[in-house]
Amino acid sequence: MHRVEHLMGMPIIVAGCDDDRLLDRVFDWFHEVDERFSTYKPDSELNRLNRGELALSDTHPDLRHVLRRCEELRGETGGYFDAGEDPTGLVKGWSVDRAAAILDDAGVSTFAINAGGDMVVRGGPWRVGIQHPVVRDAVAKALELSDCALATSGEYARGAHIVDPHTGLPPEGLLSVSVLGPDLGTADAYATAAFAMGVQRAHHWLARLRGYESLVILGDGRLLSTPGFDALEAGRGLVPA
Amino acid sequence: MKKAITALVGAVAALNPVAALAASATPKKHVTTTTKTVSGPQAQASRWGYVQVTLVVKKTTTTIGTKKKVTRKITKVSVPVYPNHTDRSVFINQQAVPMLIQEEMTAQFSGNLQLIGGATDTSYAFGNSLQAALLQAKKV
Repeated sequence: MHRVEHLMGMPIIVAGCDDDRLLDRVFDWFHEVDERFSTYKPDSELNRLNRGELALSDTHPDLRHVLRRCEELRGETGGYFDAGEDPTGLVKGWSVDRAAAILDDAGVSTFAINAGGDMVVRGGPWRVGIQHPVVRDAVAKALELSDCALATSGEYARGAHIVDPHTGLPPEGLLSVSVLGPDLGTADAYATAAFAMGVQRAHHWLARLRGYESLVILGDGRLLSTPGFDALEAGRGLVPA
Repeated sequence: MKKAITALVGAVAALNPVAALAASATPKKHVTTTTKTVSGPQAQASRWGYVQVTLVVKKTTTTIGTKKKVTRKITKVSVPVYPNHTDRSVFINQQAVPMLIQEEMTAQFSGNLQLIGGATDTSYAFGNSLQAALLQAKKV
């Protein structure tokens, strides 16, 4: 049982909830986010703010919250997550977290929301694969996940859209970074930042993150993972409750 | 294609008796691989606690006729036990040892999955994606 809608340029899949009215509310929320934060729609609140037609104090609290959180995350990542005037990098994860909260509040205990490969899961365990970067019908890692969020940043989907904000160049040696933790917006920002850091810096930075586990796919075919991420590999029987 | 090549080899063999002899004398190549996980003992790391290292080793045995070649390759290194019982230990580990486990990537195929993560799914690419296939197969 699932529903898919295409919004913000990606498929959003909600699985595990069969209440149509609740699903309507979830997708209404995503439409509302798209209207407010779209960089493609000329009259979105974000575009009007950026053109100076709208004062920050006149914007919706959600917009101000997202901009503030982008600034916090820029600090936490040493400037490697740099949203500038385009908070799109945080909007996706944050909006999925909020959609999950709608289902949480309605008492749904088992569900998954997958927005273009970034997801929040509840209950489970859900059998989740991380897309193999080269082989389309294969995964590089199979996991069993419960009650967490998983974000991946890489350049194998949308082209080289992530650059090191300090140099303006794409990072070398990394194919993707996946980050797993309680909050999808934060996990996504961390994954984006680590990807922009390049191999060496990302390696050290990810190993020291508290509360967020990670997996790095390197261009030479190696995988690097934190012990906590490794423990979630399918078939280990180490699924946290 | 395979048939065409076989036919070609046959034709060459018929024309050249030496080639035919060589072809029939080529011993069969036989390759087997086994994977083994080995753990060292829990070694005392001074007075702070224990360290243990686990390796996954892939053994490839190639037999051609009577010749046998064995190669072993470490495919994964992990550290399941390390001193982490005090904040000070955690701090030192974080500074000194980036605790990332390294392994070789493999392409894993499984129809058992429900969700696919990864920077994969633009709406444009979704139709051909593994996630779309799993949805169609009603895995989710």
